[in-house]
Amino acid sequence: MDILSHLTPMFFGLIAAGTLIGIIFGAIPGMTATMAVAVCLPLTYAFGLENGVALLLGLYVGGISGGMVPAVLLNIPGTPSSICTTFDGYPMAQKGEGERALKTGIVASIFGGLFSAAVLFFFAPVLADFAIKFSNVEKFLIILLALTVIASLCSNLLMGIFSGVLGVWLSLIGTYSIMEGGNGETRLMFDFMEYYLIDGFSLLPVLIGIFGLTTVLLDAETGFKGDSEHGRISLKGGKKFSFGVFKGQLTNLVRSSGIGTFVGMLPGVGGSAASVLAYSQEKNFSRDSSQMGKGAPQGIVSSEASNNALTGGALVPLLSLGIPGDSTTAILIGAFTLQGIQVGPLFIGNNMDTWYLIIIALVIANVLMFGIMYFAIRHIAKVIEVPKYILYPLIIMMCVVGAYAINYGIMFDVWTLLLFGVFGWVAHKIGLETVPLIIGFILGKSAEVYFVKSLESYGNYSIFFTKSPIAMFLWVLIAVSLAFAIYLNIRNRRQPEIES
Amino acid sequence: MKAIWSKTCLAMLASAAIGVSATAQAAEDCPIPGNLRVVIGSTSTGGDTYQASSIVVDQLAKKLDINAKVDAVGVMGAFRALERDRRGNTIMVFHDGSYLGNLYGVNGYPDIFESYKVGPTFAINPGNAYLVPKDSPYQSMDDIIAAAGNDKKIRVAIQPGGVSELGFSALKNAVRLEHPGKEGNIVAVNTGSQADKNQLLFDGAVDVINGSVQANEQYTNLPEDDQKAMRFVWLTSPEETIAQTNEEGMGDTTREQLMKYANVDIPMSADSDESFTFDKEFFFLYNKDMDQAAIDCIDDTLAQVFEEDELQQQLKRTFLVPDFKPSTEASEWIQQKNGKYENIINNLKG
Repeated sequence: MDILSHLTPMFFGLIAAGTLIGIIFGAIPGMTATMAVAVCLPLTYAFGLENGVALLLGLYVGGISGGMVPAVLLNIPGTPSSICTTFDGYPMAQKGEGERALKTGIVASIFGGLFSAAVLFFFAPVLADFAIKFSNVEKFLIILLALTVIASLCSNLLMGIFSGVLGVWLSLIGTYSIMEGGNGETRLMFDFMEYYLIDGFSLLPVLIGIFGLTTVLLDAETGFKGDSEHGRISLKGGKKFSFGVFKGQLTNLVRSSGIGTFVGMLPGVGGSAASVLAYSQEKNFSRDSSQMGKGAPQGIVSSEASNNALTGGALVPLLSLGIPGDSTTAILIGAFTLQGIQVGPLFIGNNMDTWYLIIIALVIANVLMFGIMYFAIRHIAKVIEVPKYILYPLIIMMCVVGAYAINYGIMFDVWTLLLFGVFGWVAHKIGLETVPLIIGFILGKSAEVYFVKSLESYGNYSIFFTKSPIAMFLWVLIAVSLAFAIYLNIRNRRQPEIES
Repeated sequence: MKAIWSKTCLAMLASAAIGVSATAQAAEDCPIPGNLRVVIGSTSTGGDTYQASSIVVDQLAKKLDINAKVDAVGVMGAFRALERDRRGNTIMVFHDGSYLGNLYGVNGYPDIFESYKVGPTFAINPGNAYLVPKDSPYQSMDDIIAAAGNDKKIRVAIQPGGVSELGFSALKNAVRLEHPGKEGNIVAVNTGSQADKNQLLFDGAVDVINGSVQANEQYTNLPEDDQKAMRFVWLTSPEETIAQTNEEGMGDTTREQLMKYANVDIPMSADSDESFTFDKEFFFLYNKDMDQAAIDCIDDTLAQVFEEDELQQQLKRTFLVPDFKPSTEASEWIQQKNGKYENIINNLKG
């Protein structure tokens, strides 16, 4: 069989190297899986298609998984899709359960990764045909469904919704780009800002500013005087990891992996939406979600299972239609075009050996990710024991480097990071809720594009309700999700009254 | 034996020294820095701009013995990077979209002939295409023009303000010439990536999409009852350009089959028989103040690279046509194209 001739030590070595480098990229705030793949893409020219793709898939899986490390330990999402991991991971780390949180995330990640690889292998062409049933209307409704998480995550419903809307507004600053079919005109800014804000605020500097820098500023404000260990957090205080944490989590694992895979299949919807959707569904439909957002492992399970499941999902349209499912696979497709290989609806049938090798590489990358992270995490988690007066300057330095590098050296991204760091601190003081704000910011632009494109294509508002049975089903989910969120909000408010 | 060994070693050392001095000489003559950043006007690494740039820049870097990296930063990022760097560390690669954006008045697109120096051209993508669903009633562009003349709305998915819109403008102009007053029946549906355009066709939300041979050829080989099946109706490149591609064509479609969609009669003006054609051409752009010696060096080096067969074969394997014109010639040529297409765009503005 020809395929066996490609399974060389080089093939396996490149997957391992890719996975390791990807984890490092993901773990550094501001560096992402997308960036790792972009940096290494030209190397694939020298390695050939099969080995090149093996390297890139390792980077992809490693990069997505590595994002959980700073999310848990430093409250900074390493990649946008690990944003929901911060909600429970960081509180766990604060309780001395950093290692437990990371190991929970790693196990959920391999489950999600392998789940999506299996779905990719068995159902890719069928699912690609299903994915194209999702027009701009259905994609808008999926984003709307993801936005309903704002209602579940905020502690004050009104302030949460206001913060979410503010996030959407911030995301719209810049140009309605012609690359998205817009008119190329700038909006929501003064003329003198145009040079800097023509492309709007970049996501990652905003994210690491609001999460990372704000945390540093808030801690700096209180100072470390009262802390006998100079601001150290112990790793020994909390519960140890055991696989018992997954007891009762099978539904969460399967549902979150399914959501991740499915959202990955929809081009343009993005990894953050997958993670947010999975988290909100767990929050709404689990038997007990009262601890979510305060350090519940189930939150990490839903976030990490879904974002790793995205990897296989995003490869479905790439390999079945030639359409990348997310920003990383949009770069991955370059490995094929550089070799002169067409990727389209006939790709799998015409390139069976390459197809099998991609599946093998994806499975191995997930297994290696698990091996590398599970056994190294005990040491990585020790980063939290570093005194804060040493750790925080290092974090700021990494954030600045990451922000500068994200768009290949734009200084304004560093100012964005600082601006949103200070904004996050102010928001904390005046009671704005940063999590809904950031979710609004992440999803706002996509919501606008799909909304406008739906109207341009079909011309009336009723199309959002009547386009297809899928659209109607999504409305039901939105309504149920909102109802649950409001019910939970009311119940949580009454809880202290009943207890007292 | 010892003498032979000594002579061999001496010869090897001499050859190495000559090689090193030749490279050093080349580097000395050529004021290109050791690290060259090539920014492209696209954010996609899966598209033709990245593909063409990578192939050519790789060969250029080898010849000049420098490190070069292609960065897909997008139009605005690339223009800004180019403006910042006068030393020649950063150069840009883009295609006709760079001046078409300005002609269409897209925000942020400067007049490239005023703001930058146009460098050499190096490749053409002859695959710029328009497609319809396989079961579409329109068999050809003539059918589409006739339908518009009969008050049928034809919705065309394009990305506004560039190469994609130019073919649309030409079609609209042709309807204006053949059926005056009916050009409003050609309606643009503005959208973004190729995936978005394809999706609109799958949804039945448009009648025609702009695409490319590279991205859409496989869809044309699907059976008619497949929702995704498409059919080419127009390749904007002339026959002469397509004739320079490999005989095998692309995927399962031969060059001969592709030729059928070229040289479609799309009239450009009432007083001329000239039909509209368009080659999407890739070229370098430099900072206005870039050292002329560096520009000459890139011209000379590219000329040498194009004389060798390797680059030409690499380009052809990916359905690109080698097309080297040195800076001065390229600048005149691109300005000529700018003038030609400006007329069509202005005609439609009325």
